[in-house]
Amino acid sequence: MSFILAAENAVSGNIGTVGYGLAALGPGIGVGIIFGMGVQAMARQPELVNVIRTNMLLGFAVVEALALIGFVVPFVHS
Amino acid sequence: MVRPARSEDGHQRPDPDPFNDRDHRAFASAVWSVPSYLLSGMAVYGGLGWLLDRWLGLSVFFPIGILVGLGLAIYLVYLRIGR
Amino acid sequence: MSDILAAEGKEFHAPGMELFDWGPLFPGGPEWLTWLTKPVLIVALAVAVTAVFLVMAFRRPQLVPRGAQNVGEAAYVFVRDQMARPALGKDAERFMPFLFTTFLFILFMNYAGVIPVLQLPAPSHIAFAIVPAAVVYVMMLVLGIKHQGLGGYFKGVLFPPGLPKGIYVILTPIELISTFVLRPFTHAVRLFANMFAGHILLAFFATVGYWFLIEKLTPAGFGVGVLGFLMTIVMTGFELFIQSLQAFIFTVLTASYIAGSLHAEH
Repeated sequence: MSFILAAENAVSGNIGTVGYGLAALGPGIGVGIIFGMGVQAMARQPELVNVIRTNMLLGFAVVEALALIGFVVPFVHS
Repeated sequence: MVRPARSEDGHQRPDPDPFNDRDHRAFASAVWSVPSYLLSGMAVYGGLGWLLDRWLGLSVFFPIGILVGLGLAIYLVYLRIGR
Repeated sequence: MSDILAAEGKEFHAPGMELFDWGPLFPGGPEWLTWLTKPVLIVALAVAVTAVFLVMAFRRPQLVPRGAQNVGEAAYVFVRDQMARPALGKDAERFMPFLFTTFLFILFMNYAGVIPVLQLPAPSHIAFAIVPAAVVYVMMLVLGIKHQGLGGYFKGVLFPPGLPKGIYVILTPIELISTFVLRPFTHAVRLFANMFAGHILLAFFATVGYWFLIEKLTPAGFGVGVLGFLMTIVMTGFELFIQSLQAFIFTVLTASYIAGSLHAEH
């Protein structure tokens, strides 16, 4: 019990930062997968580079949007 | 410099020449502008929604504006590079 | 965990914003010297190192490069082939002096974060990230107006050709904010945030190692201290990588912004 109380004393600040940390987790993994797979696909099929690049960017834009939603949620809720 | 790539069977492939490839250039600048497109979409339409909320005394339009802005920004990214 | 941290009254304090508060370098010094703080000194050193290195490398260029000229030429070719040419194409050589010095300047400012004694990346103060970004921004506007004309430049940016007519009403505000407000902002903040976070990270692990191994050596805290010490070494290597990467990205973005104002998009 004193453990929790001590922790309560030690940690201060806004819990929203932890929330954004969690919200950035998924998009981070997603961006990594998108670009990793995209480069792999380009290496395997160099003649399809343009198609792959385009789709890579679109996927990146959609995933990045999630991270930005996580970023603005505290502003919406305040 | 970049030499023309040769495949194993000895046929010379056309020089890919990345320096004059306009697609590559567009891509390179587009990759970096995607986050700022998304942010500005949120800023413009989220801001519009926020102003509407201030005016009407509501709190619905701000989140809606942010989502609409994100959607439009993704559409803009699609229009600029996706086609 | 926290009872280890709170051992014997004095508590372990994670380093915070006080890492970036630097008063005058000579506290009792004369009035006219108060502007000289540690970050300013680091920037001045970075300028000096860039200038001296370039003069040493290219003062008397020889056909068979030796010594500093070798390093200088390798760096030049790297900047030209990896950053300038992919963005600028045949205009690359015209802007190489600017891009090359920008790259080296940012690189040396960043490396100050891992050089012993200095150990503060200058761009961890946002002012030192804003000024290069602002220079690039002004350059982008001036070049755009010079090469495409006032109307042509803004028309090309705000109304990119090839979109359906009705779309412009919705998308032009996004385009406007994105190009003229958020572009310099993200350009500066990307450099600043990476250096800032990296410095805090390094300082945190170094403080953990120092506190648990030297200041308060306890059997329970020994493992934590060793971990902090090892992580300091690992993170220093990682920061070296991040610092080079951020200098690279800053220069790539500079090249791509300049390219955007030289030619209208098709």
